Amino acid sequence: MNMNWLILNAVSWLLFFFGAAFPVLILLKAIGLTGFMKVTRYEKHNTFYYRMNPSVKIILGIMVMVVASVTIWWIGAIMTVIILSTYLTLKDGKRKFITGMFLTMMTVIGTTWAFAPYTPYVILQEAFHSNQLTTLWVWPSYFTVMGYQPALTTQGLIYGFQISMRFAAVSLMSLVLVMTSTPSQVLRSLNKVGIPTSITFSLVVAMRTIPRIFEYIDTSVKIQFMKGLGSNAPSFLRPFYMLAGAFSGIVPVIVFLVRGAKDTAISADTRAFRAYSKRTYMHPMTIGKVDKMALSAVVLIVLLTVIVVMMGFGKGISYNG
Amino acid sequence: MKALEIQNLKFFYMGREEPAIDIEHLSIEDGETVLITGRSGGGKSTLVNCITGIIPHVFHGEFEGKVSVYGHNTVETPLSKLSTEVGIVLQNPETQVLNYTVEEEVAFGPENLCLESDDISERVRESVEITGTSQLMERETYTLSGGELQRIAIAAVLSMRPKLLILDEPTSNIDPEGTAKVFDIIRKLKEEKTLIVVEHKVERMLPFVDRIIVIDGGKILLDIKSSELSHYVEKMVEIGIEVPIHYIYARQNGIDSEDMETIREKLREINMIPAPPKRAGESRAVMQAAVSVSTKSGKKLVDGEIELQEKQILAIMGRNGAGKSTFLKGLMGFLDIDLNCEMQITLDGRDISREHIIKRGKEIAFVPQNFDLTLICKSVELEVAYSLKKRKVKNYMERVEKLMDMFSLSGLRYRDPLSLSLGQRRRVAMASAMASGVRVIMLDEPTSGQDYFHKQVLGKELTRIKESGYSIIIVTHDSRFVYRFADRVVVFNEGRKVLDGTPESVFRESMQYSILPPSDFLLRSDEHELVNP
Repeated sequence: MNMNWLILNAVSWLLFFFGAAFPVLILLKAIGLTGFMKVTRYEKHNTFYYRMNPSVKIILGIMVMVVASVTIWWIGAIMTVIILSTYLTLKDGKRKFITGMFLTMMTVIGTTWAFAPYTPYVILQEAFHSNQLTTLWVWPSYFTVMGYQPALTTQGLIYGFQISMRFAAVSLMSLVLVMTSTPSQVLRSLNKVGIPTSITFSLVVAMRTIPRIFEYIDTSVKIQFMKGLGSNAPSFLRPFYMLAGAFSGIVPVIVFLVRGAKDTAISADTRAFRAYSKRTYMHPMTIGKVDKMALSAVVLIVLLTVIVVMMGFGKGISYNG
Repeated sequence: MKALEIQNLKFFYMGREEPAIDIEHLSIEDGETVLITGRSGGGKSTLVNCITGIIPHVFHGEFEGKVSVYGHNTVETPLSKLSTEVGIVLQNPETQVLNYTVEEEVAFGPENLCLESDDISERVRESVEITGTSQLMERETYTLSGGELQRIAIAAVLSMRPKLLILDEPTSNIDPEGTAKVFDIIRKLKEEKTLIVVEHKVERMLPFVDRIIVIDGGKILLDIKSSELSHYVEKMVEIGIEVPIHYIYARQNGIDSEDMETIREKLREINMIPAPPKRAGESRAVMQAAVSVSTKSGKKLVDGEIELQEKQILAIMGRNGAGKSTFLKGLMGFLDIDLNCEMQITLDGRDISREHIIKRGKEIAFVPQNFDLTLICKSVELEVAYSLKKRKVKNYMERVEKLMDMFSLSGLRYRDPLSLSLGQRRRVAMASAMASGVRVIMLDEPTSGQDYFHKQVLGKELTRIKESGYSIIIVTHDSRFVYRFADRVVVFNEGRKVLDGTPESVFRESMQYSILPPSDFLLRSDEHELVNP
């Protein structure tokens, strides 16, 4: 066994784990489970997102998704930067901006690493209009069993990064809806477009429950640590034990929530829920100045997208321009 | 008109041969206020579910007999129609509040009734006025304290304008101040509605109720006027229901009075004032902890210190938001990453402040209020062994057996912990937390939501654990539990420790911090010794 073989394997496995572990590290170290709770929960405030009709926010989200998927990657990147910067207008904006930044980083690294080593060379050659690929690292031959290409290329990494830009903006926009609309407002919007109350109500309960899930899993993981989880492992491996603890905590958390769900059902049913197919509202939804501005922005985005696509910046797969 | 009429009611849950409720006849007049009490699992909740129509409309099973609410047969009337006749407030406000904002929560019912927006606003305004929650209208529900949340839950039901209101253990999860406010609402509503209150706190409910119904084993065991309670004290105690202590002593000593002061004087005359509970004396300090928690903006949330002595039960009390749980979480390293925490913890003279919770957990056990979240293994035996296996302790089964014996879990060793009863689950959580050889055990709100019987069992368990060499910290609102089982009490107010001493000395001054002394203490002390707010 020579030294080169050892280095090749050690570095390869390190790179392999980097792709899997770094997003998890970001998730658990920088954001934390309670940080997730903050970006999945509504908090009252009075800036434009909060004043916007949830239906308009849903339309904006759909628009961002469409634009990110039909245009070149850097348009997605620009949208990501713009949406992320609007996080500063949210309640506790600085904290949410930082969390959003970490989430974007997680999406970018996770997606890049999910595509770069796997994408067949033929696709990369087609995307980059070149038969020349720059090899950065040659994997041990047995890595092909995991679906890896023989080598990691610069083009593979760029391709993966470009694909991540299809997701980043959409994820950020979805969180805007969750953070700035109450479930009840979302329910009203969805009912207006004819989705039955019983379905939208499930969504409302889910939106109310998700932050609690993070809170309860956080408690469960901490108790497991107290009881010795990862006690014999080096401290740099703790995030992985934290992840393992989170998985172990899922069953008790679900059982705990299901026990409470009985009360939730009683509480809704004894307050005439589903008495009629529709509901009325204390504050009927209106389209205000902010909504009109947002809708105008949507129209502008659609027009720009059409122009951009007509100019040739709308390839189905990413490319280097 | 009768508010409620029940005839030959029997309800069997699916797969059960015995009825969960079996009532031949029960009627409640319009405007009456009735207390329903009894041990947990005795059938109280099944009865109220039959009255609200939840049974059989939502929970299915075999239903026999007839239940009428203001003339509406609950089986034949749709739940939506019934909901304007009868409303129910449940024990845990966290699981019954559905919406993010207070306003949305209170408006939820009227919105379901498809009322005009002006009508909805009117009902919301009226409900928050009755419950004294107008100032909370702009708040998110998850930012409210337990007491505030429960008042919002009541407002949300009142906005349906039900004629009959059922409150199912409305104060079991909230602090004394919140409890007092809920009782204020009950006092107000008594004039306007028919009320059924399911409660373990007979002592607190007595001034409001006309009738007391005791349910156990699915049957009505007692149905008496509240003024007759003193004649049925033995029966109530026998069933396992908490009754005011002075009633018991009055009955035992042939004193014909219900007034605390009169009973105390008479007992004093005949030299029959009971001795206070035995408390552990001063001993060696096991743990000293000073915790200071502040927000990123510098606002101090908690700044307090405690000393825990060997073989001692130390209770931490205070109103919601006083800093008890934050103190405990700071101590355990459980705080949100948004908060700054400075602490100094010494255990047997050794500074453990900088140790990670993995190391700290080797010596301090923590059982949270939601202890179900800690039960992650497939069997009781694995759960108890978890910590020992993770810490690679050799020959751990001997210790596991010892702990299972100590907590009477040997017969349940192969059962899934999550499938056990509440008391059994708590015992598994405690045994598992203690397994790695800890000396200090901390329990957050262990009495919350428990009936008198289960609280007595818990108190005896903790006393036994203490006597076998452990030191225990409990955070609780339950004054009576503290008086009976704690050796020392620390009271927190606005993040700081304000009282520290024996239960006797602390309860003399605790009223200024919204902690009502229990009747056990009042019977043994003079009124003039108490410091009133």
